[in-house]
Amino acid sequence: MSAETVRTIIDDLGALLLFTMILILAAGQIYRAIYAVAAQSLLIAIAAAVLATATGNTDLWVIAGITLTVKTIVLPWVLHRVVRRMNVRREVEPVIPVAATLALAVMVVVMSFHLSASLGPVNQAITGNALPVGIALTLLGVLVMATGKTALNQMVGLFASENGIFFTAMAVTQGMPLIIEIGVILDVILAVLVMAIMVLRVRSTVDADIAGLDRLKG
Amino acid sequence: MMTGERSLGLLLFEMTFLVLLGPLVTGTIQKIKARIQCRQGAGVLQPYRDLAKLFRKGTVQADTASGLFRLIPVLVLAATVAAGALIPVVRAGPPSFPLGDALLLLGLLALARFLTAVGALDAGGAFGGMGASREMTLAPLVEPVLMMVVFSTAVAAGTTELGALAAQRGTSWVLAWHAADFLGFAAMLVLLPAETGRIPVDNPDTHLELTMLHEGMLLEHSGPGLGCMLLASHTRQIVTLGLVSALFFPIGPANGADAAGLLLGVGAFAAKILVLASYLALVESSYAKLRLFRVPQFLGIGFVCALTALALRIL
Repeated sequence: MSAETVRTIIDDLGALLLFTMILILAAGQIYRAIYAVAAQSLLIAIAAAVLATATGNTDLWVIAGITLTVKTIVLPWVLHRVVRRMNVRREVEPVIPVAATLALAVMVVVMSFHLSASLGPVNQAITGNALPVGIALTLLGVLVMATGKTALNQMVGLFASENGIFFTAMAVTQGMPLIIEIGVILDVILAVLVMAIMVLRVRSTVDADIAGLDRLKG
Repeated sequence: MMTGERSLGLLLFEMTFLVLLGPLVTGTIQKIKARIQCRQGAGVLQPYRDLAKLFRKGTVQADTASGLFRLIPVLVLAATVAAGALIPVVRAGPPSFPLGDALLLLGLLALARFLTAVGALDAGGAFGGMGASREMTLAPLVEPVLMMVVFSTAVAAGTTELGALAAQRGTSWVLAWHAADFLGFAAMLVLLPAETGRIPVDNPDTHLELTMLHEGMLLEHSGPGLGCMLLASHTRQIVTLGLVSALFFPIGPANGADAAGLLLGVGAFAAKILVLASYLALVESSYAKLRLFRVPQFLGIGFVCALTALALRIL
């Protein structure tokens, strides 16, 4: 594959990643957010595979495989199970209205494009729109975490944010050392597992609603 | 300047083709829906029979309606059909005489929408007023997004003329899509049900007052007037689908002037419309009607997608 083709494909995948992110932000039900985040991880795995074929970097194949199994299948399944086990209300109740969240999302996207354009020489070295898209994904993940009321939403946000970091790292460095990537993935697995257990345990007292955690008990 | 590639005759043929094909698209969507629901369903030609029946009937009019009311169906149909003239159907390339661009098309569709609402208010019925108010609430959410999607492709081509836009798309397929095209197309997929008056935004099958937008505005019309309004909404649907296929799908080659080229163009257009119609039928069968207050949130997805597509193009 020529460098130009790779650039186009990464750009296209970036657009689709942004689309899944918008779906996560606008999801009215937690299940839809989980499916969208799984689709996002699948796109990340495809991006890794594309970069692996382009650069001949075998580490990237390993990363694509790990992303596919862990982030596309296992973690969404865990989240799905938690939702089913908890028997909570499935509607997402954001802190601010979804329309406001979407407006904020537009501002974040435009800002990240603006910021990465002002980076100049750094931006020159990077393929296409990967950097602004990656920054936007990361920040939008944080937005999901900030606007979600339940711990589940924040897990989804963390997950999406991590996808953004992963995408940026991959596109910018054409593959980081394998050990770092595996470390990052392990962190996310641990975080999600710990949070899943926490949510299931904590539920008995506070119903896993973050809004209920605003008072100190002494 | 650009030499015209589509003659007046071809344009007239395309416009007539669109108007004649419009009810068939509705019939097809209804047939696919019926099949998905394990029903036999009416034949795909049913909308034509409905129209023929309506045009044979007499007209009944509300006492409160003014003279304008009788004109409304004709005006709406005229605006919609005129919009149809701007859609490149069988062949890409700008028309051979100044005709108008995508903005005029959106303007004509908006005019038809406005006239429909005015007609509904004029008749003085409660349902008509409610339908008009709802339609006018949603219109400002749909039309700017449509415009932004058009702009996001127009920026790359440097023109808003639909034939030229389609020519610029060439015969390439998804592989040649720019990143912004994916987001623009996603926005279009969100908007299509809204623009064609289908679930999850509107429900075309019911006259239940809680769910209807577009149907509510047609209640006071009868006979040939209602026939015109229905034909206008069939045409509006196929015009919207045609807009999507002109913006995002390849179209027949600009130089195929002979009968074979024409036939190929018609076949390709039918295939594209069939794909989009099946999408609409699938969405209608798998989603419930959204509560009215949820609709802006749904359309917001399209808005953000379209804006991001523009950002990808410009920034």
